[in-house]
Amino acid sequence: MTEVTLNNVVKRYGAQQAVHGISLDIADGEFVVLVGPSGCGKSTTLRMIAGLEDITDGEVAIGGRVVNDLPPRERNISMVFQNYALYPHMDVRENLGFSLKIAKRPQAEIDQAVREAAVILGLEDLMDRKPAALSGGQRQRVAMGRAIVRHPDVFLFDEPLSNLDAKLRTQMRVEIKKLHQKVGNTIIYVTHDQVEAMTLADRIVLMRDGHIVQVGTPLELFNAPVNTFVATFIGSPPMNLVDGEVTNAGMIRLTDGQEIPVPSAARAGVSVGQKVQLGFRADNLSPVGHGVFEDGEAAELDLAVSLSEPLGTETLLFAELAGIEVQGKMLNPRPVSPGERMTFRLTLGKAHVFDADSTNAIRSN
Amino acid sequence: MRRRLPEWFLLLLPAIIIIAAVVLIPLIFSLYSSFTPYKLTRPSTLWKWIGFRNYERILEDWKFWAAFGRTVLVLTIALNLEMLLGLGIALLVNKVTWGQRTLRTILMFPMMFSPILVGFQFKFIFNDNVGLVNNVLQSTGLSDAALPWLVDGKLALFSILFAEIWMSTSVFAILILAGLFAMPRDPLEAAKVDGCTPWQSFRHITLPFLMPFIFIAMTIRSLDVARAYDIVQIMTGGGPARRTELIWTLMARTGYVDAKMGLANAMGYVSILLSIAFTVYFFKKLSAARAQLGMTG
Amino acid sequence: MDRNKTHRNRRRLLKVLHFLGLFLVMAVICIPGLWIVLNSFRPTVEIMAKPPVWNPSFTLDHYRAMFGGAGEGGVPVFSYLWNSIVVSVVSTFVAILIGMSGGYAFARYRFKGKSGYFVGLMLFRAVPGVALSLPLFIVFARLGIIDTHFGLILAYVAMNVPFTIWLTDGFFRQIPKELHEAAEIDGCTRWQAFWRVEFPVARSGIASAAIFAFLTSWNEFALASQLTRSVGSKTMPVGLLDFTAEFTINWGGMCALAVLMILPALILTFIVQKHLIAGLTFGGVKG
Repeated sequence: MTEVTLNNVVKRYGAQQAVHGISLDIADGEFVVLVGPSGCGKSTTLRMIAGLEDITDGEVAIGGRVVNDLPPRERNISMVFQNYALYPHMDVRENLGFSLKIAKRPQAEIDQAVREAAVILGLEDLMDRKPAALSGGQRQRVAMGRAIVRHPDVFLFDEPLSNLDAKLRTQMRVEIKKLHQKVGNTIIYVTHDQVEAMTLADRIVLMRDGHIVQVGTPLELFNAPVNTFVATFIGSPPMNLVDGEVTNAGMIRLTDGQEIPVPSAARAGVSVGQKVQLGFRADNLSPVGHGVFEDGEAAELDLAVSLSEPLGTETLLFAELAGIEVQGKMLNPRPVSPGERMTFRLTLGKAHVFDADSTNAIRSN
Repeated sequence: MRRRLPEWFLLLLPAIIIIAAVVLIPLIFSLYSSFTPYKLTRPSTLWKWIGFRNYERILEDWKFWAAFGRTVLVLTIALNLEMLLGLGIALLVNKVTWGQRTLRTILMFPMMFSPILVGFQFKFIFNDNVGLVNNVLQSTGLSDAALPWLVDGKLALFSILFAEIWMSTSVFAILILAGLFAMPRDPLEAAKVDGCTPWQSFRHITLPFLMPFIFIAMTIRSLDVARAYDIVQIMTGGGPARRTELIWTLMARTGYVDAKMGLANAMGYVSILLSIAFTVYFFKKLSAARAQLGMTG
Repeated sequence: MDRNKTHRNRRRLLKVLHFLGLFLVMAVICIPGLWIVLNSFRPTVEIMAKPPVWNPSFTLDHYRAMFGGAGEGGVPVFSYLWNSIVVSVVSTFVAILIGMSGGYAFARYRFKGKSGYFVGLMLFRAVPGVALSLPLFIVFARLGIIDTHFGLILAYVAMNVPFTIWLTDGFFRQIPKELHEAAEIDGCTRWQAFWRVEFPVARSGIASAAIFAFLTSWNEFALASQLTRSVGSKTMPVGLLDFTAEFTINWGGMCALAVLMILPALILTFIVQKHLIAGLTFGGVKG
């Protein structure tokens, strides 16, 4: 069993604090993605788990064993780096076998392990090449091969796909997920790309400024963001947020005077006069006759479309609502000309209300 | 645990120790002895403190000032000419379309020569009796009499400068050439399309890009300006009649021939300050040029 | 049409000038060295001939004299060669070990006053050899290591360490830090990570730093001329002076010794010339 536990982990560089007391339990075989904007402390956290950074305070345990003061080599982990960090003076075979050679395993065992890894990652034909003679995707695969050869307890990935072009990135994403299904180890994966986080993770840890903002499955973060930061970070396009104030009639009055009912899910949590932000995704704002409308609460809005982006099966529409640009989606699209006024239907059952001051989500329960 | 020395310091320690032992401590000793009338022949003089008298004597001595001035002059002329010639050679070689590697290899040729060898080589070539230069001049009828290259003061200075420049220009040429190779093409092409003349694009695009490389060469060169001593020592020995005397040859003569160590060490300190001034100046220029191009870190 | 023509002519003229310029430069660089080589094969009478003899004859007399018996004019060339080799090789090896460790510290660790330390070390390299030779002479004489290999090696190590640090710092800096981290995760200790990963990757750079150190020691004169006195420790640059000690200079013999001196330097440099240039520039530009 190799669960990873972080208990109040802190990292300070002099007076500057990079990670503020993070606690996290990662189960055996779980794929956890640390995601957040650059400088949020996610890489530092990963490097503390790896043993590449000292832990200022708190505890990191791997498989129930506290590893705070152990050097990386005694933690039985492996890591894939952003720039791959392949050894340029060794060919692929030597790169893959290096860790076992250092551990002084018998040559037959090394050969066996290297061969297995090569088969899993499709590297058989590249074994005698030096890293300089490999393409970006191939280097990436060698880096992953090097990680799996020694059967570590935990895999660590530090933004492994950010140096690849868009197409290759999608492809490698699938390979990483397949790899996880095949070997089943615990994986901790760092990225700044929310799409990678959504597609790969069993559980996402969203970080900002050295704090954990929200932990949960991809769908939990998507459907129930705890604050506006999560709401705008997860999902594409980002969630629309419109400012307003709660009236005594159970409505939200927008800055231009329009009123929209408070979604029932939040109704018990708001108080009259409270400044709030109404959040809704583009999927839930569609022109009448061009959306998936579920029964239940909704509001109708008359908006002028300023810009349209046809994507094929749907068209993204940009319009202004109470002085803020919002995005909506049009299914079964037809051509839309700029300035055209359309009636949009806002599905309130999927909308969120956030407190304007604390930015936290307001829910009835 | 806490009290242990940091790793970086342990790694630097051997370097610090050897330099302290072999350079720093002798320099402190020589600083002390520059305040004594120390003579090699009379060891007891080492314990007599005479304050700044050696320095006063140097400062009042026109021979020292002449050597000092000549040293600064020779260095200034040599460094500037080396830089200009190096730049010119690098540009010439950069334009060549074939055989560039061979030319570059030839360029490195003088870098491998010992300064003492360079001195000897040019002593031979400029020899008034059997030297190549005079032989050619006389055989082609350009000059009837043998020119006294190493005997006449001005000609000797010229010969020394020639040898010095022959030896050191290649450092500049090689480094500037490396800069030219590393230079991105796009800005030059953009300048061409924008209507720059070759001179303008050289002046405003190529040259600024090359500046750090020029300063590296200058810095590396300035670390070792004193090796001109070897050349002068062998070619003229500071003569004839002190007309090619540099601060270093004067110091060596005072110390070893006249055995006035205290006095020589005082001169040594002036020469050290001179060298350090050159080095610090170019280090500053180098980091300024780097910062300008955003090459730090 | 006319303008096209003038431009074409101008280009042709520039081409000719460019070629002439290059030719001149290369001639000035090559002729002095070739002249030495040529004269090492000419009989002394011919070198001294007046009017000069322009078509050279060939003789190995100077080399034969240099390597045979007591050496030409009693100059013990073999001893000088041996001294030079011992002093240069040992001092280079030690300077590289010390310099590499210092360069690694500058490249891989952050600490206060780093650039101050760096410039400080470089300044010690800037101390003129002659100025240093005065106190060294006295100190070494006191310690009894004057006129020994050991003394000269010590001096050369100290002289070469700063520049070796400069060069190796540049080379280690080029190697991404992740390489070393990857090795640590793969099970290496810090020491293993250095010798098995970083050192092999920087090998060519370190080789070029070694060449520089070797050339400096091999060619050095100002210190050697004072710190060595006898056949047992004099190096070749100092030995070269033996030929001028007399009233008549033995030009041919000197040329032969010069060739012997330059040959190892030439060969070594050409082996690593590519890295040599890369080393100099990387060390400096990407500071």
